[in-house]
Amino acid sequence: MIIDSHTHVDRVGWYDPPETIIRLMDEAGIDTSIIMTYGEAPDVEGSIEYIAEAVNKYPDRLIGYARMHPGRGLTAHRLFEKAMEEYGFKGLKLHPVGNLCHPAEPETLDMIQLATRYNAPVLFHCGDEELTLPLQVAQAAEACPNATIILGHMGGYFHWKDAIRVADRYPNIALDTSALPYPRAIKEAVGRIGSARVLYASDGPGCDPRIEVHKVRLAGLALEDEDAVFHRSIQAILDRVSVGGDG
Amino acid sequence: MIVDAHVFLGSCLFGYGQSIDEILSRMNRLGIDRAVLAPVKPRDYHLGPMNDLVAECVARHPARFMGLCRVDPWQGRAAIAEVRRGFEELGHCGLYLDPWEENFQANDDIVVPLLEETRRYGRPVVVNAGHVRVSHPTQIWDLARRFPDVSLVACNGGQINICGMLLSETRRMLEACPNVSIETAGTYREDFLEEIITEVGEERVLFASGSPVYDQEFEMARVRLAHLTESQKAQVWSANALSVFGVPTGTG
Repeated sequence: MIIDSHTHVDRVGWYDPPETIIRLMDEAGIDTSIIMTYGEAPDVEGSIEYIAEAVNKYPDRLIGYARMHPGRGLTAHRLFEKAMEEYGFKGLKLHPVGNLCHPAEPETLDMIQLATRYNAPVLFHCGDEELTLPLQVAQAAEACPNATIILGHMGGYFHWKDAIRVADRYPNIALDTSALPYPRAIKEAVGRIGSARVLYASDGPGCDPRIEVHKVRLAGLALEDEDAVFHRSIQAILDRVSVGGDG
Repeated sequence: MIVDAHVFLGSCLFGYGQSIDEILSRMNRLGIDRAVLAPVKPRDYHLGPMNDLVAECVARHPARFMGLCRVDPWQGRAAIAEVRRGFEELGHCGLYLDPWEENFQANDDIVVPLLEETRRYGRPVVVNAGHVRVSHPTQIWDLARRFPDVSLVACNGGQINICGMLLSETRRMLEACPNVSIETAGTYREDFLEEIITEVGEERVLFASGSPVYDQEFEMARVRLAHLTESQKAQVWSANALSVFGVPTGTG
């Protein structure tokens, strides 16, 4: 069983219809993928609906996260609530390079708190770029101790040690394995913070899910840990999502 | 045949490293026929002895290795003399420049005499590329257009940016500079490699692992699992590297 915690579909910018990721999932033997757009709601009109339609088309294969611009205030909040309550989304995606909002500025924290009302995870792009560094995203984790914060790409090429360090410091941080090119970083992360907070992810379709699966296998984890990374850890996070809003 | 166009040899100041025996053992396990060795920056900062070590290993295993000469452009005339020594006395097949570890900009004027010297010998130049402040794709581009008759090989797919913001910049650079190719090691997004190979040119991408900075076995998967024809893969696995670096004399 494999759940891919971080993939993309979109119809603007990089054009990746859901069929692209489904094909790559089939090649890689992936059961389910969490999908999100490259563009941000509400600025990119219809992006939430596009994810909802994709999930509706492949309900057994795809799970939706809403990629939002936290600087859009109540408009963004109402749309995120709709995504969670009407469309059955399971999480929030934030990409500070796209929206130029610091991970710990008030508007971002408001968005995170809204997601936390549903116990929904918040997946940050977390790489080597300004506004996305692990030590910057960690400020949000510290400010919102009840939130589940996922560091997508676990710090990228040069900041994966920072990612592991902040995950060790804040128990509400999890790491996703997508795109960073170091199997040894996955091994070190599991050794230091445990497999319950390390999530297999590909960042597909740009990064090939087969290769990303191969990377996790090359990390040389104990079978039980590998199983957790491939699906049990993200499943536990998703199981906590409460659409009733009483989380 | 598989040629790994970029493998580091030696124990590095920055904590990584590997011996020639470790390299050979892993190449044998993974089915890699040949590799191009690049010296690491050693703890004593002296690159000359590392160039000697690379040459010794190539001499001991001429059918398996080729070697690059590494210099620090900040050393001025001494660096130029080392390039000459590398090509004339040590038999190196190309020049390796590391703007990231030697802390210079890839298109800085201090690089020019080294490129001029390398051009005299008709050898390629491998550049540790994609580091935003020192070897951004536009800086590789600037260097390449000043030396259109020198073959440049950009490491890391020419771009290191996990947002994907440098993908189009690197493609523009490759389209503008037919004398530049890229290595596969550490490249962000496999679809970028597939796009460059199918739309820009299958001769423009060389398999390289960048080991041990990157994991050699994992890096092979980028080519093995790519959505490419067998003919395209053969180009990437070996033909392009052999074309850029030349066939080693010891192969018979």
